[in-house]
Amino acid sequence: MSEGVLEYTRKNLIRRRRIARLIIFGFTVAVLVSAHGTGFRIRDLYRGIPNIIQFLTEDLLPPRFSVWRRFLGPTMETIAMSYAGTFLSVVFAAPLGFLAARNVSPSPVVMQVARAIAVFMRTIPPIVWALLLVSIVGIGPFAGTIALGLSGAGMLIKSYADSIEDIDAGQIEAVRATGAGTFAVMMKGVVPQFSPSFVSWSLYRFDLNIRSAAVVGLVGAGGLGFSLSTAVRLFRYQEAAVAILWILGLILAIEFVTAKLRGHLI
Amino acid sequence: MSDLKIVAQDLYGRSPMRRLMPLWWALGLTALFVVSILGMNLNIARIIEGGDRLVVMLGQMFPPDFSILGRIIGPAIETLYVAILGTFLGVVFSIVIGVLAAHNITPHVTVEIALKGFSAFTRAVPALIWALLFIVAVGLGPLPGILALAVNSIGMLGKVFAESIEEIDKGQIEAVAATGATPLQIISKAIIPSVTPALVSWSLFRLDINIRYSAVLGVVGAGGIGIELVRSTRMLAFDETLTITLLIFVMVWAVEYVNNKIRAFIR
Repeated sequence: MSEGVLEYTRKNLIRRRRIARLIIFGFTVAVLVSAHGTGFRIRDLYRGIPNIIQFLTEDLLPPRFSVWRRFLGPTMETIAMSYAGTFLSVVFAAPLGFLAARNVSPSPVVMQVARAIAVFMRTIPPIVWALLLVSIVGIGPFAGTIALGLSGAGMLIKSYADSIEDIDAGQIEAVRATGAGTFAVMMKGVVPQFSPSFVSWSLYRFDLNIRSAAVVGLVGAGGLGFSLSTAVRLFRYQEAAVAILWILGLILAIEFVTAKLRGHLI
Repeated sequence: MSDLKIVAQDLYGRSPMRRLMPLWWALGLTALFVVSILGMNLNIARIIEGGDRLVVMLGQMFPPDFSILGRIIGPAIETLYVAILGTFLGVVFSIVIGVLAAHNITPHVTVEIALKGFSAFTRAVPALIWALLFIVAVGLGPLPGILALAVNSIGMLGKVFAESIEEIDKGQIEAVAATGATPLQIISKAIIPSVTPALVSWSLFRLDINIRYSAVLGVVGAGGIGIELVRSTRMLAFDETLTITLLIFVMVWAVEYVNNKIRAFIR
Protein backbone atom coordinates (compact mmCIF):
# COMPACT_ATOMS: atom_id res chain seq x y z
CA MET A 1 0.00 0.00 0.00
CA SER A 2 1.36 3.38 -0.92
CA GLU A 3 1.77 6.25 1.50
CA GLY A 4 -1.01 8.15 -0.21
CA VAL A 5 -3.59 5.42 0.33
CA LEU A 6 -2.60 5.03 3.97
CA GLU A 7 -2.83 8.77 4.47
CA TYR A 8 -6.24 8.76 2.79
CA THR A 9 -7.53 5.92 5.00
CA ARG A 10 -6.20 7.66 8.10
CA LYS A 11 -7.86 10.96 7.17
CA ASN A 12 -11.08 9.15 6.35
CA LEU A 13 -11.07 7.40 9.72
CA ILE A 14 -10.47 10.68 11.53
CA ARG A 15 -13.25 12.29 9.53
CA ARG A 16 -15.66 9.46 10.33
CA ARG A 17 -14.79 9.61 14.01
CA ARG A 18 -15.37 13.36 13.98
CA ILE A 19 -18.83 12.91 12.40
CA ALA A 20 -19.65 10.15 14.89
CA ARG A 21 -18.72 12.49 17.77
CA LEU A 22 -20.85 15.21 16.23
CA ILE A 23 -23.84 12.87 16.01
CA ILE A 24 -23.42 11.74 19.64
CA PHE A 25 -23.05 15.37 20.74
CA GLY A 26 -26.16 16.28 18.73
CA PHE A 27 -28.22 13.57 20.40
CA THR A 28 -27.02 14.48 23.88
CA VAL A 29 -28.03 18.09 23.28
CA ALA A 30 -31.37 16.96 21.83
CA VAL A 31 -32.13 14.86 24.93
CA LEU A 32 -31.14 17.66 27.32
CA VAL A 33 -33.14 20.27 25.40
CA SER A 34 -36.14 17.94 25.32
CA ALA A 35 -35.90 17.31 29.06
CA HIS A 36 -35.72 21.06 29.66
CA GLY A 37 -38.54 21.83 27.23
CA THR A 38 -40.98 19.33 28.73
CA GLY A 39 -39.93 19.99 32.33
CA PHE A 40 -38.98 16.34 32.66
CA ARG A 41 -36.97 15.36 35.72
CA ILE A 42 -35.51 11.99 36.58
CA ARG A 43 -37.38 12.21 39.89
CA ASP A 44 -40.65 12.24 37.90
CA LEU A 45 -39.84 8.63 37.15
CA TYR A 46 -39.67 7.41 40.73
CA ARG A 47 -42.25 9.90 41.98
CA GLY A 48 -44.62 8.60 39.34
CA ILE A 49 -44.11 4.98 40.34
CA PRO A 50 -46.35 5.09 43.48
CA ASN A 51 -49.12 6.68 41.39
CA ILE A 52 -48.75 4.01 38.76
CA ILE A 53 -48.77 1.21 41.33
CA GLN A 54 -51.78 2.72 43.07
CA PHE A 55 -53.60 2.97 39.74
CA LEU A 56 -52.72 -0.61 38.88
CA THR A 57 -53.70 -2.16 42.19
CA GLU A 58 -56.71 -0.04 43.12
CA ASP A 59 -58.31 0.93 39.82
CA LEU A 60 -57.23 -1.40 37.05
CA LEU A 61 -56.92 -4.70 38.89
CA PRO A 62 -58.53 -7.12 39.24
CA PRO A 63 -60.12 -7.10 35.77
CA ARG A 64 -63.89 -7.52 35.93
CA PHE A 65 -63.95 -10.71 33.93
CA SER A 66 -67.72 -11.01 34.16
CA VAL A 67 -68.05 -8.50 31.30
CA TRP A 68 -65.83 -10.45 28.89
CA ARG A 69 -68.78 -11.35 26.68
CA ARG A 70 -69.43 -7.68 25.97
CA PHE A 71 -66.17 -7.47 24.00
CA LEU A 72 -66.93 -10.41 21.73
CA GLY A 73 -68.75 -8.20 19.18
CA PRO A 74 -66.06 -5.48 19.15
CA THR A 75 -63.38 -8.17 18.76
CA MET A 76 -65.11 -9.50 15.65
CA GLU A 77 -65.46 -5.93 14.44
CA THR A 78 -61.71 -5.32 14.93
CA ILE A 79 -60.88 -8.47 12.95
CA ALA A 80 -63.33 -7.48 10.20
CA MET A 81 -61.86 -3.94 10.03
CA SER A 82 -58.31 -5.28 9.84
CA TYR A 83 -59.13 -7.81 7.16
CA ALA A 84 -61.25 -5.47 5.02
CA GLY A 85 -58.60 -2.73 5.41
CA THR A 86 -55.85 -5.14 4.36
CA PHE A 87 -57.92 -6.33 1.39
CA LEU A 88 -58.48 -2.77 0.19
CA SER A 89 -54.82 -1.85 0.53
CA VAL A 90 -53.65 -5.01 -1.27
CA VAL A 91 -56.07 -4.43 -4.17
CA PHE A 92 -55.02 -0.80 -4.39
CA ALA A 93 -51.29 -1.34 -3.86
CA ALA A 94 -50.72 -4.30 -6.19
CA PRO A 95 -51.02 -2.35 -9.47
CA LEU A 96 -49.32 0.73 -8.02
CA GLY A 97 -46.49 -1.45 -6.72
CA PHE A 98 -45.73 -2.51 -10.30
CA LEU A 99 -45.88 1.09 -11.48
CA ALA A 100 -43.53 2.17 -8.67
CA ALA A 101 -40.87 -0.49 -9.33
CA ARG A 102 -37.97 0.87 -11.36
CA ASN A 103 -37.41 -2.28 -13.41
CA VAL A 104 -40.99 -2.78 -14.63
CA SER A 105 -42.47 0.73 -14.43
CA PRO A 106 -43.63 2.07 -17.82
CA SER A 107 -41.89 5.42 -17.23
CA PRO A 108 -39.78 7.21 -14.60
CA VAL A 109 -42.48 9.87 -14.20
CA VAL A 110 -45.13 7.24 -13.38
CA MET A 111 -42.71 5.64 -10.95
CA GLN A 112 -42.07 8.91 -9.12
CA VAL A 113 -45.79 9.72 -8.92
CA ALA A 114 -46.63 6.24 -7.55
CA ARG A 115 -43.83 6.54 -4.98
CA ALA A 116 -44.97 10.01 -3.93
CA ILE A 117 -48.53 8.75 -3.39
CA ALA A 118 -47.11 5.95 -1.25
CA VAL A 119 -45.01 8.31 0.88
CA PHE A 120 -47.98 10.57 1.48
CA MET A 121 -50.33 7.75 2.47
CA ARG A 122 -48.01 6.02 4.87
CA THR A 123 -46.37 9.07 6.48
CA ILE A 124 -49.71 10.28 7.82
CA PRO A 125 -50.42 8.02 10.83
CA PRO A 126 -53.50 5.74 10.53
CA ILE A 127 -55.17 7.43 13.48
CA VAL A 128 -55.02 10.79 11.68
CA TRP A 129 -56.68 9.21 8.66
CA ALA A 130 -59.27 7.75 11.03
CA LEU A 131 -59.91 11.16 12.62
CA LEU A 132 -60.55 12.72 9.20
CA LEU A 133 -62.68 9.82 8.03
CA VAL A 134 -64.81 9.87 11.16
CA SER A 135 -65.68 13.48 10.25
CA ILE A 136 -66.65 12.32 6.75
CA VAL A 137 -68.48 8.99 7.13
CA GLY A 138 -69.35 9.20 10.82
CA ILE A 139 -68.40 7.14 13.85
CA GLY A 140 -68.05 3.40 13.26
CA PRO A 141 -65.85 0.67 11.81
CA PHE A 142 -66.22 1.84 8.21
CA ALA A 143 -64.08 4.93 8.92
CA GLY A 144 -61.50 2.67 10.55
CA THR A 145 -61.49 0.27 7.60
CA ILE A 146 -60.82 3.03 5.09
CA ALA A 147 -58.15 4.56 7.36
CA LEU A 148 -56.34 1.20 7.62
CA GLY A 149 -56.75 0.71 3.88
CA LEU A 150 -55.12 4.06 3.09
CA SER A 151 -52.12 3.83 5.41
CA GLY A 152 -51.68 0.14 4.55
CA ALA A 153 -51.67 0.88 0.84
CA GLY A 154 -48.91 3.44 1.41
CA MET A 155 -46.71 0.85 3.05
CA LEU A 156 -47.54 -1.95 0.62
CA ILE A 157 -46.86 0.08 -2.53
CA LYS A 158 -43.35 0.72 -1.27
CA SER A 159 -42.76 -2.87 -0.08
CA TYR A 160 -44.17 -4.42 -3.26
CA ALA A 161 -42.11 -2.08 -5.45
CA ASP A 162 -38.93 -2.78 -3.48
CA SER A 163 -39.46 -6.56 -3.76
CA ILE A 164 -40.15 -6.32 -7.50
CA GLU A 165 -36.95 -4.33 -7.91
CA ASP A 166 -35.06 -7.11 -6.15
CA ILE A 167 -36.14 -9.87 -8.53
CA ASP A 168 -33.73 -11.54 -10.92
CA ALA A 169 -33.63 -9.61 -14.22
CA GLY A 170 -32.34 -12.71 -16.05
CA GLN A 171 -35.69 -14.47 -15.77
CA ILE A 172 -37.52 -11.49 -17.23
CA GLU A 173 -35.01 -11.38 -20.09
CA ALA A 174 -35.43 -15.10 -20.70
CA VAL A 175 -39.23 -14.79 -20.99
CA ARG A 176 -38.88 -11.73 -23.19
CA ALA A 177 -36.43 -13.56 -25.44
CA THR A 178 -39.16 -16.09 -26.32
CA GLY A 179 -40.98 -13.20 -28.03
CA ALA A 180 -43.53 -12.77 -25.26
CA GLY A 181 -45.38 -9.45 -24.94
CA THR A 182 -45.61 -7.26 -21.86
CA PHE A 183 -48.50 -9.17 -20.30
CA ALA A 184 -46.85 -12.57 -20.67
CA VAL A 185 -43.54 -11.17 -19.37
CA MET A 186 -45.36 -9.93 -16.26
CA MET A 187 -47.25 -13.19 -15.70
CA LYS A 188 -44.36 -15.56 -16.38
CA GLY A 189 -41.26 -13.51 -15.58
CA VAL A 190 -42.24 -11.17 -12.76
CA VAL A 191 -45.24 -12.60 -10.90
CA PRO A 192 -43.77 -16.02 -10.01
CA GLN A 193 -40.71 -14.39 -8.46
CA PHE A 194 -42.71 -11.70 -6.71
CA SER A 195 -45.51 -13.83 -5.23
CA PRO A 196 -43.69 -15.06 -2.08
CA SER A 197 -42.85 -11.52 -0.98
CA PHE A 198 -46.32 -10.39 -2.02
CA VAL A 199 -47.91 -12.94 0.32
CA SER A 200 -45.41 -12.22 3.05
CA TRP A 201 -45.85 -8.43 3.01
CA SER A 202 -49.62 -8.67 2.78
CA LEU A 203 -49.78 -10.99 5.80
CA TYR A 204 -47.44 -8.70 7.71
CA ARG A 205 -49.75 -5.80 6.94
CA PHE A 206 -52.72 -7.76 8.29
CA ASP A 207 -50.73 -8.32 11.46
CA LEU A 208 -49.97 -4.59 11.76
CA ASN A 209 -53.59 -3.72 11.01
CA ILE A 210 -54.82 -5.72 14.02
CA ARG A 211 -52.66 -3.46 16.19
CA SER A 212 -53.76 -0.29 14.39
CA ALA A 213 -57.41 -1.38 14.40
CA ALA A 214 -57.31 -1.67 18.17
CA VAL A 215 -56.04 1.91 18.28
CA VAL A 216 -58.04 3.75 15.59
CA GLY A 217 -61.11 2.87 17.66
CA LEU A 218 -59.91 5.40 20.24
CA VAL A 219 -61.11 8.21 17.94
CA GLY A 220 -64.47 6.54 17.40
CA ALA A 221 -63.63 4.28 14.48
CA GLY A 222 -65.17 1.15 16.00
CA GLY A 223 -63.85 -2.11 17.37
CA LEU A 224 -62.08 -2.86 20.64
CA GLY A 225 -60.37 0.54 20.79
CA PHE A 226 -63.76 2.23 20.92
CA SER A 227 -64.94 -0.05 23.73
CA LEU A 228 -61.70 0.62 25.59
CA SER A 229 -61.88 4.39 25.32
CA THR A 230 -65.55 4.33 26.34
CA ALA A 231 -64.70 2.27 29.44
CA VAL A 232 -61.87 4.67 30.37
CA ARG A 233 -64.06 7.71 29.83
CA LEU A 234 -66.69 6.25 32.16
CA PHE A 235 -63.93 5.54 34.74
CA ARG A 236 -64.73 1.82 34.51
CA TYR A 237 -61.09 0.82 34.71
CA GLN A 238 -61.70 -2.80 35.64
CA GLU A 239 -63.71 -3.19 32.43
CA ALA A 240 -60.96 -1.34 30.55
CA ALA A 241 -58.53 -3.95 31.90
CA VAL A 242 -60.63 -6.70 30.30
CA ALA A 243 -60.65 -4.79 27.00
CA ILE A 244 -56.85 -4.49 27.14
CA LEU A 245 -56.53 -8.22 27.78
CA TRP A 246 -58.80 -8.87 24.78
CA ILE A 247 -56.61 -6.63 22.62
CA LEU A 248 -53.47 -8.33 23.88
CA GLY A 249 -54.91 -11.80 23.28
CA LEU A 250 -56.13 -10.88 19.82
CA ILE A 251 -52.78 -9.39 18.78
CA LEU A 252 -50.87 -12.45 19.99
CA ALA A 253 -53.36 -14.87 18.40
CA ILE A 254 -53.22 -13.14 15.01
CA GLU A 255 -49.42 -12.96 15.19
CA PHE A 256 -49.38 -16.73 15.77
CA VAL A 257 -51.85 -17.44 12.96
CA THR A 258 -50.07 -15.24 10.38
CA ALA A 259 -46.72 -16.81 11.28
CA LYS A 260 -48.23 -20.29 10.70
CA LEU A 261 -49.86 -19.17 7.45
CA ARG A 262 -46.62 -17.64 6.21
CA GLY A 263 -44.75 -20.85 6.90
CA HIS A 264 -47.47 -22.82 5.12
CA LEU A 265 -47.83 -20.61 2.04
CA ILE A 266 -44.21 -19.78 1.24
CA MET B 1 -48.90 -16.22 -30.59
CA SER B 2 -50.65 -13.76 -28.34
CA ASP B 3 -49.69 -13.21 -24.71
CA LEU B 4 -52.97 -14.55 -23.43
CA LYS B 5 -52.48 -17.75 -25.39
CA ILE B 6 -49.04 -18.37 -23.93
CA VAL B 7 -50.34 -17.94 -20.41
CA ALA B 8 -53.48 -19.96 -21.10
CA GLN B 9 -51.55 -22.84 -22.67
CA ASP B 10 -49.20 -22.99 -19.75
CA LEU B 11 -52.10 -23.13 -17.32
CA TYR B 12 -53.80 -25.81 -19.42
CA GLY B 13 -50.99 -28.23 -18.75
CA ARG B 14 -51.94 -28.42 -15.09
CA SER B 15 -54.84 -30.23 -13.41
CA PRO B 16 -58.08 -28.20 -13.27
CA MET B 17 -57.84 -27.77 -9.50
CA ARG B 18 -54.27 -26.47 -9.58
CA ARG B 19 -54.87 -24.45 -12.71
CA LEU B 20 -57.63 -22.48 -11.04
CA MET B 21 -55.89 -22.21 -7.64
CA PRO B 22 -55.20 -18.44 -7.85
CA LEU B 23 -58.83 -17.95 -8.87
CA TRP B 24 -60.10 -19.92 -5.84
CA TRP B 25 -57.93 -17.84 -3.54
CA ALA B 26 -59.11 -14.59 -5.11
CA LEU B 27 -62.76 -15.65 -4.85
CA GLY B 28 -62.42 -16.83 -1.26
CA LEU B 29 -60.60 -13.73 -0.08
CA THR B 30 -63.07 -11.44 -1.86
CA ALA B 31 -66.01 -13.30 -0.29
CA LEU B 32 -64.38 -12.83 3.13
CA PHE B 33 -64.04 -9.11 2.39
CA VAL B 34 -67.73 -8.83 1.52
CA VAL B 35 -68.68 -10.72 4.69
CA SER B 36 -66.45 -8.42 6.79
CA ILE B 37 -68.02 -5.29 5.35
CA LEU B 38 -71.59 -6.62 5.67
CA GLY B 39 -70.94 -7.67 9.26
CA MET B 40 -70.17 -4.09 10.30
CA ASN B 41 -73.82 -2.94 10.52
CA LEU B 42 -73.05 -0.01 8.29
CA ASN B 43 -75.23 3.05 8.18
CA ILE B 44 -75.38 3.16 4.38
CA ALA B 45 -77.25 6.47 4.24
CA ARG B 46 -74.59 8.11 6.43
CA ILE B 47 -71.79 6.75 4.22
CA ILE B 48 -73.42 7.90 0.99
CA GLU B 49 -73.90 11.29 2.61
CA GLY B 50 -70.14 11.09 3.28
CA GLY B 51 -69.52 11.79 -0.40
CA ASP B 52 -71.06 15.24 -0.06
CA ARG B 53 -69.27 15.80 3.24
CA LEU B 54 -65.96 14.90 1.61
CA VAL B 55 -66.53 17.53 -1.08
CA VAL B 56 -67.45 20.15 1.53
CA MET B 57 -64.49 19.16 3.71
CA LEU B 58 -62.02 19.35 0.83
CA GLY B 59 -63.50 22.73 -0.08
CA GLN B 60 -62.92 23.98 3.45
CA MET B 61 -59.42 22.49 3.61
CA PHE B 62 -58.11 24.60 0.74
CA PRO B 63 -56.39 26.90 1.13
CA PRO B 64 -54.81 25.62 4.38
CA ASP B 65 -54.74 28.24 7.13
CA PHE B 66 -51.05 28.91 7.69
CA SER B 67 -51.77 31.78 10.08
CA ILE B 68 -52.05 29.23 12.92
CA LEU B 69 -48.44 28.11 12.46
CA GLY B 70 -47.26 30.46 15.21
CA ARG B 71 -49.70 28.86 17.64
CA ILE B 72 -49.04 25.22 16.74
CA ILE B 73 -45.26 25.39 16.54
CA GLY B 74 -45.03 25.06 20.35
CA PRO B 75 -47.06 21.83 20.48
CA ALA B 76 -45.12 20.55 17.46
CA ILE B 77 -41.82 21.05 19.27
CA GLU B 78 -43.26 19.38 22.36
CA THR B 79 -44.14 16.40 20.15
CA LEU B 80 -40.50 16.17 19.06
CA TYR B 81 -39.32 16.44 22.67
CA VAL B 82 -41.66 13.67 23.81
CA ALA B 83 -40.46 11.38 21.01
CA ILE B 84 -36.80 12.03 21.80
CA LEU B 85 -37.18 11.55 25.57
CA GLY B 86 -39.40 8.48 25.18
CA THR B 87 -36.84 6.92 22.85
CA PHE B 88 -33.93 7.87 25.12
CA LEU B 89 -35.51 6.33 28.24
CA GLY B 90 -36.59 3.31 26.21
CA VAL B 91 -33.04 2.79 24.95
CA VAL B 92 -31.47 3.15 28.41
CA PHE B 93 -33.82 0.64 30.04
CA SER B 94 -33.64 -1.68 27.03
CA ILE B 95 -29.86 -1.91 27.25
CA VAL B 96 -30.18 -3.09 30.85
CA ILE B 97 -32.98 -5.50 29.93
CA GLY B 98 -31.13 -6.71 26.84
CA VAL B 99 -27.99 -7.51 28.82
CA LEU B 100 -29.93 -9.33 31.56
CA ALA B 101 -32.21 -11.19 29.14
CA ALA B 102 -29.68 -12.35 26.52
CA HIS B 103 -29.45 -16.13 26.75
CA ASN B 104 -25.63 -16.26 26.61
CA ILE B 105 -24.93 -13.80 29.45
CA THR B 106 -28.10 -13.77 31.57
CA PRO B 107 -27.44 -14.17 35.31
CA HIS B 108 -30.19 -16.79 35.55
CA VAL B 109 -32.64 -18.38 33.17
CA THR B 110 -35.64 -17.23 35.25
CA VAL B 111 -34.43 -13.62 34.84
CA GLU B 112 -34.26 -14.21 31.09
CA ILE B 113 -37.79 -15.64 30.92
CA ALA B 114 -39.27 -12.93 33.18
CA LEU B 115 -37.68 -10.08 31.20
CA LYS B 116 -38.54 -11.56 27.81
CA GLY B 117 -42.12 -12.02 28.97
CA PHE B 118 -42.18 -8.43 30.19
CA SER B 119 -40.91 -7.16 26.82
CA ALA B 120 -43.45 -9.25 24.95
CA PHE B 121 -46.22 -7.71 27.06
CA THR B 122 -45.07 -4.07 26.72
CA ARG B 123 -44.60 -4.61 22.99
CA ALA B 124 -48.01 -6.16 22.38
CA VAL B 125 -50.01 -3.41 24.11
CA PRO B 126 -50.06 -0.50 21.62
CA ALA B 127 -48.37 2.81 22.54
CA LEU B 128 -51.59 4.82 22.55
CA ILE B 129 -53.18 2.43 25.03
CA TRP B 130 -50.16 2.85 27.31
CA ALA B 131 -50.68 6.60 26.99
CA LEU B 132 -54.35 6.23 27.91
CA LEU B 133 -53.36 4.36 31.08
CA PHE B 134 -50.50 6.68 32.03
CA ILE B 135 -52.75 9.71 31.73
CA VAL B 136 -54.99 8.23 34.39
CA ALA B 137 -51.99 7.24 36.51
CA VAL B 138 -49.79 10.38 36.36
CA GLY B 139 -52.08 13.10 34.98
CA LEU B 140 -52.04 15.18 31.82
CA GLY B 141 -49.06 16.86 30.14
CA PRO B 142 -46.03 15.46 28.33
CA LEU B 143 -45.07 12.96 31.09
CA PRO B 144 -47.67 10.23 30.28
CA GLY B 145 -46.64 10.42 26.61
CA ILE B 146 -42.95 10.08 27.44
CA LEU B 147 -43.65 7.10 29.71
CA ALA B 148 -45.95 5.44 27.17
CA LEU B 149 -43.37 5.70 24.38
CA ALA B 150 -40.58 4.55 26.72
CA VAL B 151 -42.54 1.48 27.87
CA ASN B 152 -43.64 0.54 24.35
CA SER B 153 -40.05 1.04 23.08
CA ILE B 154 -38.69 -1.24 25.81
CA GLY B 155 -40.89 -4.02 24.43
CA MET B 156 -39.31 -3.79 21.01
CA LEU B 157 -35.75 -2.70 21.84
CA GLY B 158 -35.35 -5.05 24.84
CA LYS B 159 -36.10 -7.94 22.50
CA VAL B 160 -33.84 -6.89 19.62
CA PHE B 161 -30.97 -5.87 21.93
CA ALA B 162 -31.09 -9.25 23.65
CA GLU B 163 -31.16 -10.94 20.25
CA SER B 164 -28.17 -9.00 18.95
CA ILE B 165 -26.21 -9.87 22.11
CA GLU B 166 -27.14 -13.53 21.57
CA GLU B 167 -25.64 -13.33 18.08
CA ILE B 168 -22.22 -12.24 19.36
CA ASP B 169 -19.31 -14.54 18.61
CA LYS B 170 -18.66 -16.58 21.77
CA GLY B 171 -14.90 -16.34 21.23
CA GLN B 172 -14.89 -12.60 21.83
CA ILE B 173 -16.49 -12.93 25.26
CA GLU B 174 -14.19 -15.81 26.20
CA ALA B 175 -11.10 -13.91 25.06
CA VAL B 176 -11.94 -10.97 27.30
CA ALA B 177 -12.97 -13.28 30.16
CA ALA B 178 -9.63 -15.11 29.83
CA THR B 179 -7.79 -11.89 30.72
CA GLY B 180 -9.47 -12.07 34.14
CA ALA B 181 -12.04 -9.37 33.40
CA THR B 182 -14.96 -8.81 35.78
CA PRO B 183 -18.52 -9.28 34.44
CA LEU B 184 -18.89 -5.50 34.13
CA GLN B 185 -15.64 -5.29 32.15
CA ILE B 186 -16.78 -8.13 29.91
CA ILE B 187 -19.95 -6.20 29.16
CA SER B 188 -18.16 -2.92 28.46
CA LYS B 189 -15.22 -4.37 26.51
CA ALA B 190 -16.60 -7.39 24.67
CA ILE B 191 -20.34 -7.01 24.42
CA ILE B 192 -21.06 -3.30 24.03
CA PRO B 193 -18.54 -2.71 21.18
CA SER B 194 -19.82 -5.61 19.09
CA VAL B 195 -23.51 -4.70 19.44
CA THR B 196 -23.12 -0.92 19.09
CA PRO B 197 -23.95 -0.74 15.34
CA ALA B 198 -27.10 -2.84 15.77
CA LEU B 199 -28.03 -0.90 18.90
CA VAL B 200 -27.69 2.49 17.24
CA SER B 201 -29.51 1.39 14.12
CA TRP B 202 -32.46 -0.07 16.05
CA SER B 203 -32.66 2.96 18.35
CA LEU B 204 -32.85 5.29 15.35
CA PHE B 205 -35.52 3.08 13.81
CA ARG B 206 -37.46 3.32 17.07
CA LEU B 207 -37.15 7.12 17.08
CA ASP B 208 -38.73 6.99 13.66
CA ILE B 209 -41.67 5.00 15.03
CA ASN B 210 -41.93 7.13 18.17
CA ILE B 211 -42.24 10.42 16.28
CA ARG B 212 -45.28 8.96 14.53
CA TYR B 213 -46.84 7.91 17.83
CA SER B 214 -45.86 11.14 19.53
CA ALA B 215 -47.69 13.12 16.85
CA VAL B 216 -50.94 11.34 17.68
CA LEU B 217 -50.63 11.04 21.47
CA GLY B 218 -52.81 14.14 21.77
CA VAL B 219 -55.69 12.10 20.41
CA VAL B 220 -55.99 10.43 23.80
CA GLY B 221 -55.19 13.71 25.61
CA ALA B 222 -51.44 13.35 26.14
CA GLY B 223 -50.19 16.67 24.76
CA GLY B 224 -48.36 17.71 21.63
CA ILE B 225 -49.56 18.46 18.12
CA GLY B 226 -52.21 15.70 18.28
CA ILE B 227 -54.39 17.79 20.61
CA GLU B 228 -54.46 20.61 18.07
CA LEU B 229 -55.41 18.13 15.37
CA VAL B 230 -58.34 16.72 17.33
CA ARG B 231 -59.48 20.21 18.37
CA SER B 232 -59.50 21.44 14.77
CA THR B 233 -61.58 18.48 13.54
CA ARG B 234 -64.04 18.89 16.42
CA MET B 235 -64.45 22.57 15.52
CA LEU B 236 -64.79 21.63 11.84
CA ALA B 237 -61.94 24.04 11.08
CA PHE B 238 -60.60 21.85 8.29
CA ASP B 239 -58.29 24.53 6.89
CA GLU B 240 -56.45 24.27 10.23
CA THR B 241 -56.65 20.46 10.13
CA LEU B 242 -54.83 20.45 6.79
CA THR B 243 -52.08 22.77 8.08
CA ILE B 244 -51.56 20.55 11.15
CA THR B 245 -51.59 17.37 9.05
CA LEU B 246 -49.00 18.89 6.71
CA LEU B 247 -46.86 19.88 9.70
CA ILE B 248 -47.06 16.31 11.08
CA PHE B 249 -46.12 15.03 7.63
CA VAL B 250 -43.09 17.33 7.49
CA MET B 251 -41.95 16.36 11.00
CA VAL B 252 -42.25 12.62 10.41
CA TRP B 253 -40.60 12.94 7.04
CA ALA B 254 -37.75 15.10 8.41
CA VAL B 255 -36.96 12.64 11.21
CA GLU B 256 -37.02 9.78 8.68
CA TYR B 257 -34.68 11.73 6.39
CA VAL B 258 -32.14 12.56 9.12
CA ASN B 259 -32.31 8.97 10.37
CA ASN B 260 -31.61 7.55 6.93
CA LYS B 261 -28.59 9.84 6.60
CA ILE B 262 -27.20 8.74 9.96
CA ARG B 263 -27.91 5.08 9.26
CA ALA B 264 -26.18 5.30 5.88
CA PHE B 265 -23.18 6.84 7.67
CA ILE B 266 -23.04 3.99 10.22
CA ARG B 267 -23.16 1.37 7.49
